[in-house]
Amino acid sequence: MTRFIKVGGIGVITLVLGIAVFILWQILPLFRGARVEAGAERALEVADYRILGVDEYADLPLLVDAKGRLSVVDLAGDRGQIEIDPEFEDDANFTAFAYHPARQDLVCATDDGRFSIVKIEYESEFVDDVRVLNAAAEAGDFHEIGQKGSPIRRIAYGDADDVKLVAALQEVDGKMELHAAMLEQASSLFGGGEISVADSFNLTGKTAGNLTALLVDGGAASVLAASDAGEVFYFYYDEDEEDFELRQTFRPFEGAEGVKIASMDFLLGDVTIVFTGSGGENRLFSLFIPEGGDLRLWGRTKDFPDLPAGAACYSRSLRNKSFLIAAGKTVSLRHATTEKVRWQENLDFEPVLARLNSKYNRMVLLDGQGRLRVFSLDDPHPESSFKALFGKLWYEGSDRPTYAWQSTGGSDEFEPKLSMVPLIAGTLKGTFYAMLFAFPIALLAAIYTSQFAAPRFRTTIKPTMEIMASLPSVVLGFLAALWLAPLIEDRVPSILLMAVGLPLLSMAVGFGWARMPIRWRALIPAGSEFLCFIPILFVGMWACWEAGPALERALFTVDGTADFRLWWPDATGADFQQRNSLVVGFMMGFAVIPIIFTIAEDSLSSVPGALRGASLALGASRWQTAIRVIVPTASAGIFSAVMIGLGRAVGETMIVVMATGNTPIMEWNVFSGMRTLSANIAVELPEAPVHGTLYRTLFLGAMVLFLLTFAVNTVAEILRHRLREKYKTV
Amino acid sequence: MNAARKSNPPGVFGPPVKAAGEAWVWLTSMGLAVGLIMIVFLLGLVVIKGVEAFWPRRVVQITVKDDSSFKLIDAVTYGGEVALRREKRSHDRTGQPAAERQLYVGNRDVYGLSFKFIDEADIVSEEQPAEIVKIERIDGGPAIGIPLRIESAAEGGKALSATDAGFAAEFERLVDEVNERREAIRHIEQKDIGHINAKLERLARRERTLEKKASGGVSADAKRTEIEAARADLQARYETLAAEARKLREAQEGQKLVYQLLSGQERAIAVGDIIHFHHPNRLSGMERLGLFLRNVWVFLSEEPRNANTEGGIFPAIFGTFAMTLLMSIAVMPIGVMAAIYLREYAVQGAVVRAVRIAVNNLAGVPSIVFGVFGLGFFVYFMGGSIDSLFFNDRLPTPTFGTGGIFWASLTLAVMTVPVVIVATEEALASVSRGVREGSLACGASKWQTIQRVVLPAAAPGILTGLILAMARGAGEVAPLMLVGVVKHVPDLPIDGTFPFVHLDQKFMHLGFHIYDLGFQSPDAEAAKPMVFATTLLLIGLVVALNLGAIIIRERLRRKYATGAF
Repeated sequence: MTRFIKVGGIGVITLVLGIAVFILWQILPLFRGARVEAGAERALEVADYRILGVDEYADLPLLVDAKGRLSVVDLAGDRGQIEIDPEFEDDANFTAFAYHPARQDLVCATDDGRFSIVKIEYESEFVDDVRVLNAAAEAGDFHEIGQKGSPIRRIAYGDADDVKLVAALQEVDGKMELHAAMLEQASSLFGGGEISVADSFNLTGKTAGNLTALLVDGGAASVLAASDAGEVFYFYYDEDEEDFELRQTFRPFEGAEGVKIASMDFLLGDVTIVFTGSGGENRLFSLFIPEGGDLRLWGRTKDFPDLPAGAACYSRSLRNKSFLIAAGKTVSLRHATTEKVRWQENLDFEPVLARLNSKYNRMVLLDGQGRLRVFSLDDPHPESSFKALFGKLWYEGSDRPTYAWQSTGGSDEFEPKLSMVPLIAGTLKGTFYAMLFAFPIALLAAIYTSQFAAPRFRTTIKPTMEIMASLPSVVLGFLAALWLAPLIEDRVPSILLMAVGLPLLSMAVGFGWARMPIRWRALIPAGSEFLCFIPILFVGMWACWEAGPALERALFTVDGTADFRLWWPDATGADFQQRNSLVVGFMMGFAVIPIIFTIAEDSLSSVPGALRGASLALGASRWQTAIRVIVPTASAGIFSAVMIGLGRAVGETMIVVMATGNTPIMEWNVFSGMRTLSANIAVELPEAPVHGTLYRTLFLGAMVLFLLTFAVNTVAEILRHRLREKYKTV
Repeated sequence: MNAARKSNPPGVFGPPVKAAGEAWVWLTSMGLAVGLIMIVFLLGLVVIKGVEAFWPRRVVQITVKDDSSFKLIDAVTYGGEVALRREKRSHDRTGQPAAERQLYVGNRDVYGLSFKFIDEADIVSEEQPAEIVKIERIDGGPAIGIPLRIESAAEGGKALSATDAGFAAEFERLVDEVNERREAIRHIEQKDIGHINAKLERLARRERTLEKKASGGVSADAKRTEIEAARADLQARYETLAAEARKLREAQEGQKLVYQLLSGQERAIAVGDIIHFHHPNRLSGMERLGLFLRNVWVFLSEEPRNANTEGGIFPAIFGTFAMTLLMSIAVMPIGVMAAIYLREYAVQGAVVRAVRIAVNNLAGVPSIVFGVFGLGFFVYFMGGSIDSLFFNDRLPTPTFGTGGIFWASLTLAVMTVPVVIVATEEALASVSRGVREGSLACGASKWQTIQRVVLPAAAPGILTGLILAMARGAGEVAPLMLVGVVKHVPDLPIDGTFPFVHLDQKFMHLGFHIYDLGFQSPDAEAAKPMVFATTLLLIGLVVALNLGAIIIRERLRRKYATGAF
């Protein structure tokens, strides 16, 4: 039995203390880099391949060579390289190609100013329970763009279903011209109908220099062209004018002498461009509204470490904001949001084409000798890094680096923002307002109960306060949100009056009473002041409550309307919300007051009686004794009471979930809400996919909470322990 | 200064005259007074609002001015229960107050709202007609109106008018009848058909396992025909039961009640959809009390209806009870064992002191952290393993790999184990040394001493710890939201279907019910009385548990008189 107890006891304690270890174990993968391993390799027919595409699983990569021949390579089975014929309308000499991995389409442009859109279809079938993937391609009709008969050197295509935009760089008399064409699709019952050119534009006149690179965004609303002078021209389609306007001209490598634009590609979402310079510089530009402006323009947001040269190939991830980029033998996987190189290695070959699959678990690289190499990629949490979780990041669409929490968005292209800082700030804000309210009341009550109250009251006061501590927080949260918040919403001035008025009132009553004749004073025995104080307070509260509207009319009037809710935003520029920190602070006070009270009262009343007796015997009044002798002696205990109360407030969940708007904002405004770490977990964890980045990030939030409260409580515990030792010697 | 003011007169006790800082003493007394006011006020509020939720109120019929902006769908006359009467704040400079009242108008299906605010200045007349009835319906919340007649659907227009003598008795008889029938339908559909469904499901699982195993067994065929026969038998029984239920359902539609809303519209409702009705303006004091008690009983014993806003909360009470019970069963042995080890067996030194502080501090770790741990460790890690080992045939539908009452209880057990350890340790420490040594001197072994002498003496202290743990567990919601509490369950975690205790079942909980009703309900205002009633019940439960613990502790303190803080 003894052994059983020992083993069991140690087991239970290990298990309980193992909570932190388990949570830590769930968090650690967040800080891991990407793992890449070389896989299959296939030798292909030697040709001048221009495009490398992949299906979802990267089982059947697609290759397009300079002659416009399409083929797929069977990596899962042994079917080798299979040619597929998209059946172009006629034989043509192809000069340029563009491939869109998400839409799985291909634009092929010819030397006589035409282009055709090829749709790639993947189909899986099951042969003997084994999935076999087949690919087919279907070419659309040829359409003309720009000058008839001149070769197209670069082409780009954007498809937003109802509008489609093609842009091309065309060589006319030895000079590059920029042409754009709006396409329209006849609507038909079966999805895509016939495509025809609706409108064409020649944008050459608005550009300068020799154009080398071209981009069209997925929304089919803008065209970007880069010149060999290092300039980028940003055209935006104005729907009212039905024409393109040159909205911005910028130099991505401004300040770097002699650097030319080597490559220019979109990141997932098409609001960030990855540039590389001829010297291997790697910079990111994003679309945002600059301060004071009203149009979204491109601005430099991120700088990555240099590559050995300008990028030879590039592929964006279709899952997240990562991109694969290669120059020379260096291949690098980088994540835009966190500005972090996830993986980088010098391989023993020079890739000319690269592609990430949409599952983000494989990369396919092709070298100049026609060898196709597959790498498996294991990078489950690219969005996380120490900086992403605790630092400021420059998110897409924002005009400066910010701390932000926004874990889910409306589209696949959404950029998760996982900074813990707004949540920590929210936690501290809630705690601060709760303590602001709870600390004075709890401390005063503890001093009174332990020093001045008659002993017969003490035995009922403490259990009453402990009952208060046991109130379930969901009840407090419900009352805060559905009863208190609407009640005080239009009575804020009354509440302000109470906060100032009640302490003043009690002081005034005290001063007045102390000057009363002794016969009167004897009516209230020492130790029961609080009883006769309760009706006085009630009257005081009622008076403040009633006087609030008058105060509002006198002080908080905007445009003839006496309404604090309008006055506050008008006067301070800050928000006013119904469920705000005032409500949270007050209700959380309910949860915290009894905790602080109980522990503080304990430590105050266990100050050895000899000290108290000595002080009183020397002629000190009861107040002097309390404040000069008892409180300093018990200060460590009071401090530890505050710490434990703090720990409770930090971790409080239901009150905050219910009584605030749960918006992760960073401001100290009393009349706005917040989102705390604990509320964040309660709100988001039930929906978070198991072992995903959000799931682990929420575990990290739990860990932060755990450490915070554990540290605070340990400090408090050690202090109390010291205090106990001290009293033993007194 | 005269002598009379220097010392207190004989027989008068109190602070000495001119004692310094008396005003500050008053300030500290404010702290206590505010704290006490807060708690009393809050408890009072919950009690009043909670009790009010069950009290039948009168229904007033009001008429507003013709040009009033407070018409209800263009009707100047309408009515309802007065839910609130208050002073309306006006924000113009004059600040002239005006009174307004909130009417609970019911008939949400017609009006599209449950509550209506009216300025008192706009009310022209007001009366309380005695013939008004308030009807509790299965769907759509209560209806308030004046009954006109009962029509029989079958015999083509044979109607009983409300002015006929036997109307009230007949109406009552019909409602009793449909209630009985509804109970019968419920019994058939939930109990009998539920049993059959469970058996069918088990057959299907057996078949699947058989298919997996049978690569070429002969015996498999015999078993298969056996399963087929059993299934056909069950199917036939199902058909008869379903036909019976169908017949009863048709009977429910037999009569309909035509009533007129206070705003004039005429509406009809099948009597089978009526649960209960009463005349709010015709009740005597005793009847009102009786109705109040009936409402309380319905609240405690019935299942929720209408998105939890009506009916009772029995599944939530049961879920809370079952979860707390399971938690106590789990937490008691492990907590006591750990405490016995720490206090009696471990070598008292720096390590044990550190462990003690750590365990103590775990009690202060936020509950949501335990919820996160429970979700990651119990649900996904342990539950996932159990599923892949024992319930492989059900995957990918998780059995234990999702939240349920078992994991919820274990999570709360981990959360409350520090409370039990600390309390048990204190109780063990307070058993006097003399008793222990006496036992040892009599030749008892260490374990015998602990078992026969120390533990019985410490039992009340351990019990206090357990009660405190139960109170904390019963009131906690945040971790439960992660590990298996849901807003509505069709089945209880313990029922009459094999294996009787369903540990993988999701469950309802009083605390979560409050959260869900208050925040996720489509008509939060109408759900408020239910929330207050549930709150009252939960607070009552938690306060009772705590009071029990406090009383036991106070007794103990007097018995041992050892100072501990």
